[in-house]
Amino acid sequence: MSFIGFVSFIGTIIIFLLSKKVYRKMNWIILSPLLICPLIIIALLLITHTSYEDYNSGATWLSKLLGPATVAFAVPIYKNYALLKEHAKAIGASLITGCAVAIISSFLFALWIGLSNELINSLVPRSITTPIAMDISEIIGGEPTMTAVFVIVTGLTGSIIGPLIIRYIRIRTSAAKGLLLGMGAHGCGTSKAFEIGELEGTYSSLAMIVAALISIVLSDTFFPLLQHYLIG
Amino acid sequence: MRIQIAKIIVQIIFLYGILLLGDGIAKVSHLPIPGSIIGLVLLFLALQFHIVKLEWVNLGAGLLTSELLLFFVPSAVGVVQYDQIVGIIGIKLVTVIVLSTIVVMACTGLVADFVQKKGAKKV
Repeated sequence: MSFIGFVSFIGTIIIFLLSKKVYRKMNWIILSPLLICPLIIIALLLITHTSYEDYNSGATWLSKLLGPATVAFAVPIYKNYALLKEHAKAIGASLITGCAVAIISSFLFALWIGLSNELINSLVPRSITTPIAMDISEIIGGEPTMTAVFVIVTGLTGSIIGPLIIRYIRIRTSAAKGLLLGMGAHGCGTSKAFEIGELEGTYSSLAMIVAALISIVLSDTFFPLLQHYLIG
Repeated sequence: MRIQIAKIIVQIIFLYGILLLGDGIAKVSHLPIPGSIIGLVLLFLALQFHIVKLEWVNLGAGLLTSELLLFFVPSAVGVVQYDQIVGIIGIKLVTVIVLSTIVVMACTGLVADFVQKKGAKKV
């Protein structure tokens, strides 16, 4: 690892921990570490004339931890398995709805606002976790790297909007809170859900995984139909 | 403290090993499912059937899941590379993402609440 890479790696961790501290103290939703920390780093890169490639040569090791972190979600699911089984109906029904709504709403809003077909296809898989979203994007004729960007923008948006939605439409149960965060904003939503509570986080982890699996099936069956009827 | 840190590192390496196993299975089987999800299912089954003990992974998994946002930061910084996200198209894209995320979250939450309440009334 180069010197810049090393500094980027350590620096990202330090800036992240500091932004978390500030976020906890101010408790302002807009100060989410996922928004503040990247903004500070972008500013530092601009000031020091460092390219993203140089930064990412070290920081990429953090991105790589997303893999084992996904595997790690087996632990909260294992710990709360009995409870999840008990609520299997609510989980299944809400996530199938969520996945279908994610595909339809991205599609319709994008058509309405006038985006190109390629951008629409890249947008559709954005609410699920990156590797799967990129695969689906490829399958349905999108641009996988653009999809990866939309996934992160969605995660950021969802982790800020999610708690507001919970408050505004008066979502009461832990299950519903966790499920909507994991469905709408994958890992970023799940992280938010763990802030609310262990149980919410567990539901959110499960939502993130099941939503990804449902989306694989829907993008193979349901999405081509939409494409056929709406774009022709 | 030092033992704790060593334990966490070893456990994360162990989780990484499961990820690699999942990646291998994904490659060989040609399933359209990424290795991380296969790894998650493997670890869950291993815990369920007591092949892996909870304390082998608990600390490492706890750290990875609680600091999950950190692992998204480099990708979030990477958004600067894309010109598409700025300008009129960028505003349109973000509008679609915000609107769609609101609808998805609201529908998911309402359905989950509704099904649970219906279930609770029957009992």
